[in-house]
Amino acid sequence: MKSRSNHFGKINRRDFLVKSISAIAVVYIIPNIIETSIAAKQKSEKVSSKTKWGMHIDVTKCVDGCSACIQACNDENGLYGFGRPETDPQWIRKIKLRDLKTNEISVLPMLCQHCENPPCCDVCPTGASFKREDGIVMVNQHTCIGCRYCMMACPFKARSFVHENLTMQLTNSPRGKGCVESCNFCVNKIDHGSAYTACEEACNKEGGGVISFGDLNDSKSKVNAAIKKSPGRRLRVDLKLKQKVTYTGI
Amino acid sequence: MPLLFRTFPIILILISTSTTFSHDGQIHKFVGKSKADLLESCVEPTDVMRKKHFEFLYHQRDLTVIDGVRTTKHSLANCIDCHVSRDEVGNFIPINEEGQFCYTCHIETATNIDCFSCHASVPRHNEVKTNNRNQQNSVSAIHHQLENIISR
Repeated sequence: MKSRSNHFGKINRRDFLVKSISAIAVVYIIPNIIETSIAAKQKSEKVSSKTKWGMHIDVTKCVDGCSACIQACNDENGLYGFGRPETDPQWIRKIKLRDLKTNEISVLPMLCQHCENPPCCDVCPTGASFKREDGIVMVNQHTCIGCRYCMMACPFKARSFVHENLTMQLTNSPRGKGCVESCNFCVNKIDHGSAYTACEEACNKEGGGVISFGDLNDSKSKVNAAIKKSPGRRLRVDLKLKQKVTYTGI
Repeated sequence: MPLLFRTFPIILILISTSTTFSHDGQIHKFVGKSKADLLESCVEPTDVMRKKHFEFLYHQRDLTVIDGVRTTKHSLANCIDCHVSRDEVGNFIPINEEGQFCYTCHIETATNIDCFSCHASVPRHNEVKTNNRNQQNSVSAIHHQLENIISR
């Protein structure tokens, strides 16, 4: 009885210290230990370098003749052509590579590689070509003057120029004549909390699940799981561009 | 007397502002109905919106493109969502067409707007599938109510 009244009635020095330290830990220390990147970005928040979006592509699963990713990209961003394949916009395309020594043919989707050191941004005279804090390389079409230096600088031919007047643009993907454009990792979807790009969704549904997209800084993300499973490599490593899109199986 | 001299310019400004707005006393009339017609005021007080709407849009545009901020308060997409009218059949009328919201003032002030060579002039959303339920539900309730009123 005596000890009980002591416990509830008055607090001794030891209790006081233990309780106050644990209260401080709850308020200040534990929130810092729990990873903040797990929570989805709020719409009012600016993007930060805590996330680094990246993509991993398993070429061994990619099927020749499938164009689900291209179709999905066109639907998502409202892209359409004018029957001129040389100049029609393409944000993602399928290419065929043949190994010169073994004659092995591999088919793979080619899109903006979202380099850490993007040559398109180096050459842009207006700063319209830029790298967002979270690593997405995109075009600010408000300041793009359509000089197409970036298209020449890109070693992957990832960018397109809009040559004609456009109609029926989507609200989520404004685009127009006289600007350069390219894959932006479905920036609108991502900012609204989606964890999938349009091409990845389509590939998982209709293709072979070739594409894995996610946060490279988050050790539990899809892209890191895919990289762990089958480590890949960057294309043209000699250029030292540090692309965030990696390929395995070539 | 010195006090009167000092306050005179202020009084002058106070009187003159109400007469120098280009659309003072005019009432906008639209062919169709828009959500904005049914609301008391815009996202800011009306006189602020008349003078400063492009500043809000410029600021928001850079925030969105460069920093990925996707709030709708000052976004062009939200302007269009709310101010776009519908014809008798219920289809959206492009907002920059003759007699529509943007056109009415911009033709009078002879300021050419270039927004709609790239941006959609009617709400044309593809489905944005979101993982975050809270963000989906945060679309203001009034928008949904008005959507129902108009579509009926």
